[in-house]
Amino acid sequence: MRLEGTHAIRAPREQVWAALNDPEVLARCVPGARDVERDGPDSYRARLELAVGPVKGVYQGKVKLTDLVPPESMTLSVEAKAPVGIVKAVGEVRLEERGEETLVHWAGTPQLAGTLATLGGRLIGGVAKQQADVFFGKLDAEVRAQRAPSTTEV
Amino acid sequence: MSDKYFGKPVKRVEDPRFITGTGHYTEDMTLPGMAHAAMLRSPYASARIVSIDATRALAQPGVLAVLTGKDLLDAKIGSIPTGWLLPDLKTPPHYAIAPEVARHVGDVIAAVIAEDRATAEDAVALLDVELEPMDAVALGSDALAPAAPQVHPEAPGNVAFEWEIGDAAAVEENFARAYRTVKLTLRNHRLVPNAIEPRASMAQYQKASDEFTLWTTSQNPHIHRLLLAAFVLGIPEHKLRVISPDVGGGFGSKIFQYPEEVIVLHAARKLNRPVKWSARRSESFVSDAQGRDHETVAELAVDEHHKVLGLRVKTVANLGAYLTTFAPAVPTYLYGTLLNGTYRFPAVHAHVTGVFTNTVGVDAYRGAGRPEATYVVERMMSRMAHELGIDPAEFRRLNFIQPDEFPYQTPVALVYDSGNYEPALDQALERVGYAELRREQEEARARGRYIGIGFSSYLEACGLAPSKLVGQLGAQAGQWESAVVRVMPTGKVEVLTGSHSHGQGHETAFAQIIADDLQIPMEDVSIIHGDTGRMPYGWGTYGSRSAAVGGSAMKMATAKILDKARRIAAHLLEAAPEDVVHEDGKFFVRGVPANSKSFFDVALMAHLAHNIPDDMEPGLEAQHFYDPKNFVYPFGTHVAVVEVDADTGRVKLLKYVAVDDCGPMINPLIAEGQVHGGIAQGVGQALLENTVYDEQGQLVTGSFMEYAVPRADDLVQFDIGHTVTPSPHNPLGVKGIGEAGTIASTAATANAVIDALAPFGIAHLDMPYTPERVWRAIQAARAQTQQAADD
Amino acid sequence: MYTTEFDYHRAGSVQEALALLAANPDAKLLAGGHSLIPAMKLRLASPPALIDVSKVAGLRGIRLEGVEVVIGAMTTHRDVEFSDVLRAACPLLSQVAPLIGDPMVRNRGTVGGALAHADPAADYPASMLALGASMTIASTSGERTVPADEFFTGMFETAVAPGELLTEIRVPAATLGEGQAYEKFAHPASRYAIAGVAAVVRTQGGSVSSARVAMTGAGYHAMRLTKVEEALVGQTPTPEVVEAAVRGAVSPDELLGDHFASAEYRAHLVEVQARKAILRALGSAG
Repeated sequence: MRLEGTHAIRAPREQVWAALNDPEVLARCVPGARDVERDGPDSYRARLELAVGPVKGVYQGKVKLTDLVPPESMTLSVEAKAPVGIVKAVGEVRLEERGEETLVHWAGTPQLAGTLATLGGRLIGGVAKQQADVFFGKLDAEVRAQRAPSTTEV
Repeated sequence: MSDKYFGKPVKRVEDPRFITGTGHYTEDMTLPGMAHAAMLRSPYASARIVSIDATRALAQPGVLAVLTGKDLLDAKIGSIPTGWLLPDLKTPPHYAIAPEVARHVGDVIAAVIAEDRATAEDAVALLDVELEPMDAVALGSDALAPAAPQVHPEAPGNVAFEWEIGDAAAVEENFARAYRTVKLTLRNHRLVPNAIEPRASMAQYQKASDEFTLWTTSQNPHIHRLLLAAFVLGIPEHKLRVISPDVGGGFGSKIFQYPEEVIVLHAARKLNRPVKWSARRSESFVSDAQGRDHETVAELAVDEHHKVLGLRVKTVANLGAYLTTFAPAVPTYLYGTLLNGTYRFPAVHAHVTGVFTNTVGVDAYRGAGRPEATYVVERMMSRMAHELGIDPAEFRRLNFIQPDEFPYQTPVALVYDSGNYEPALDQALERVGYAELRREQEEARARGRYIGIGFSSYLEACGLAPSKLVGQLGAQAGQWESAVVRVMPTGKVEVLTGSHSHGQGHETAFAQIIADDLQIPMEDVSIIHGDTGRMPYGWGTYGSRSAAVGGSAMKMATAKILDKARRIAAHLLEAAPEDVVHEDGKFFVRGVPANSKSFFDVALMAHLAHNIPDDMEPGLEAQHFYDPKNFVYPFGTHVAVVEVDADTGRVKLLKYVAVDDCGPMINPLIAEGQVHGGIAQGVGQALLENTVYDEQGQLVTGSFMEYAVPRADDLVQFDIGHTVTPSPHNPLGVKGIGEAGTIASTAATANAVIDALAPFGIAHLDMPYTPERVWRAIQAARAQTQQAADD
Repeated sequence: MYTTEFDYHRAGSVQEALALLAANPDAKLLAGGHSLIPAMKLRLASPPALIDVSKVAGLRGIRLEGVEVVIGAMTTHRDVEFSDVLRAACPLLSQVAPLIGDPMVRNRGTVGGALAHADPAADYPASMLALGASMTIASTSGERTVPADEFFTGMFETAVAPGELLTEIRVPAATLGEGQAYEKFAHPASRYAIAGVAAVVRTQGGSVSSARVAMTGAGYHAMRLTKVEEALVGQTPTPEVVEAAVRGAVSPDELLGDHFASAEYRAHLVEVQARKAILRALGSAG
């Protein structure tokens, strides 16, 4: 099932791009992320503590960024593994300038394996949407917080 | 005893223990020192096993061992064989634990043995396994595509076999002169068997004697012993005893020899401790062999008198990742040979391609090939009747084989030895109130309600069967059955049978047969089954064979007992055996009932041997191996009545009539119970059950949250009738009834749904008729009608 | 399958439950256990501790308090199903309860457990929205009341914050001229709602004076169908008016979809179930 969404971030495109490539920012914005570390020029690994209703677990996460066209677009590959199953997604992320804001368009097809595939099909769309809302909400707050001091400096 | 048990609805003697929770299942058993196994199963449909690091798991207190595919290979554990061969069949290895590549979700990658089950399951989560997922393929026709992922290097193009039956040229010729032809693409979707008791196995090893005992959920313990001992473990068969105690349903899925049985046997020897494994329900979904899964193109031709000229069938049969025990037989000999149905089809040709995919293995599931064949034949008959604008019941009647045409040689190998199809159809029409129902249907349509009536005038070949014949067809097993009737000195009787009961009520029905013949109370007869250490060799229960083959073996062993008993009685009565009659439970000289010997008198003397003929062996015990001359051919007509809610697409079953001919019924209560369960499963396939694999080969309907088995409120009170046409060749005249309901009802229900949808101009829709599928078909048909009106 | 190891605490009072919750922040509250325990057995959840609140004193029972029916959070579905108080004062819940699970589930499962779990396909949430119920939530700092409209915040998400306990549900008793109905289209396997619609409609002088209509099962969480409500109020409720009101009740974009029922189909079902529920509510208005 293909999922997609658009989120408005109140910051210039370059700044949003930089934030998306900053492991420290990601660590603060990705829901449940712990111990985010860079393990390659454009790849990260992390521990993800995910909780969706009754489903709660610790996942070993890997994120890889490819096809980087700064500050416009990238391909994001995410894999999260736990004994109950695996979530994998390859998504396109596109940043569009719109006035003061940046629109982040994302689209992808999540794949589930293991127990999650058997029991999670009904919920994956909703879960993805919820997690995306949380992530971009935090990202928005993050870049605005970064922005506040920098504007006073100028 | 003038009051015979045969034909009486005797309540099942096994039920008190089942309904009071005192049945004795494999999972109930505990042995001193027993350890528990838990499986790590592949989460991917296809993956290379890069590494398995068991360090963390083995460090857990209570963890005894971790087994991998390499461990089993090192221990010289063989591949699990298939029990049925076809010409040019590809038989890639099937190891109990995948050594290099996992080929379906649920394939075992490693096993943990621990002191208790919780520890074993905890340790499974601690195995550090690196898997490299590979592209997978789930649908049979997709697997045949040129660029499809290859499931086995041994089977290029994923083809396991190509098989055909019938005369292609004759079909061609008849189609060329056809008055009308119809063609349908039919999907007979995959089913999960869902026996109420999940599989379980417990193994014990005696080091001193180098002997194994395996308690396992088996429909045929001797087949398990043969495969496990001779092919997998490489030990003499008598070093392995297989016990199959109470078993909670099988529907075919417990015929097969599974990886977990190998794993517990190996682990028991390695650790020198008993080891038990029991499936969780979620494991059953990804490891019990599944059923059906055909993609078929069928064509039917008739002449101007509406007589069928021929049937042409091309089927892709999805076999899953590995060939399970009877997998090659199901879509071939159990399918192609049934494509003649109850009709005079002058020419039939079928071509079947068996295909490997990255899914759970597909094998016999209640009906095994015959429901698939019946679906093709009966769906095509209804489609043609609709095309011709004639009544589907009358079209069937017109094409039935007539009673005076038996034995009837079909164009697809079988010789039907008996049959009388019209009375069953007539009775079904009468029970359902056909003429009135058609009127109601018309009126309802006028009011925007969509009722449909569907027929299935099925036939099946069961009671597997003459060994010589099945051997010619590739079976690596005999298909006779054995019985030992052992009379105790007190006249009580123990009967040992190679048949196995896992819900069929053998302890009742078989006792009825024996008690009648020996003229003793049923309570004096015990039926024993399910233990290779006690029973004579036998081939188990599947293919509706127990009554016809196992029951006949018993009847013939009992005849030997009676013969000897009569001779002992004659000796005691100082008369000639031919003058002694056996009536009301007594032996006496014809005309002199006052001076008699009871069965007890005879049994006691046989054992005391104080006064028996000089040339006679003591004891009273007889064995018989019965190999039937032919299959048996039950048949009948089922009628389903459904209503489709055009608003939501939901289909509701309104009425169901089944008229079956299984010959004389030993126990109508049990026979009708079998019909009820069979109909429920068949209706379930048509309306509810669906096994959905996604494109990555993930089973997305792997729980009862998603997989809908029929429940009481999905069904109706079935109206059951019978006609009686005895089998001409077995001594009981009986024909199997265990699968008939399933074989007939899917097609009847499907035809009813399509009949209900006829006003929308819908000529065919694939099962299962889930609400959205039906709703979308109606929407599409309405849009088309609108479009046509606009043009 | 077996759960992972966990500690088990049984609370005897609300205060004790809250104290246990404070001491075990990662613990899950256990009510009837018919969602949580299966998730634990499948190891989809492995909480280190459970706090059993099913025996907390005073949390089970149904009583009429003025113009409200008060339902203790640990009241079972079966209690709801057979409650005379509810049958008279809130017939909607009497219709809903027997549609939940099976008798075994209804004997164990609780109203509060189901609401706090907030499965997007559960039956009660739509009814609570349609009834205009309110939830009483206790914490160590006291009690607060949350209206149903603010209670269901997401998929499996509610206004109940960590450390809090849902203690009771308050439902306004039905008034004269009010009709209530719930129409459920169930998944044949799970028997959860694919689309369930609850309607509480009041008529006065032949026209609709108020309408609360809510759906469950089709979306990420239960929600009001405000467009439908607005289209009904002030109208003479003929079948044609109802038919027009439910059309386009919800957009597929807002809904869940899976192999059994796509978002588009669910949107259609919401319309069908809404129509049925509204018409039946109108027909039953006392």
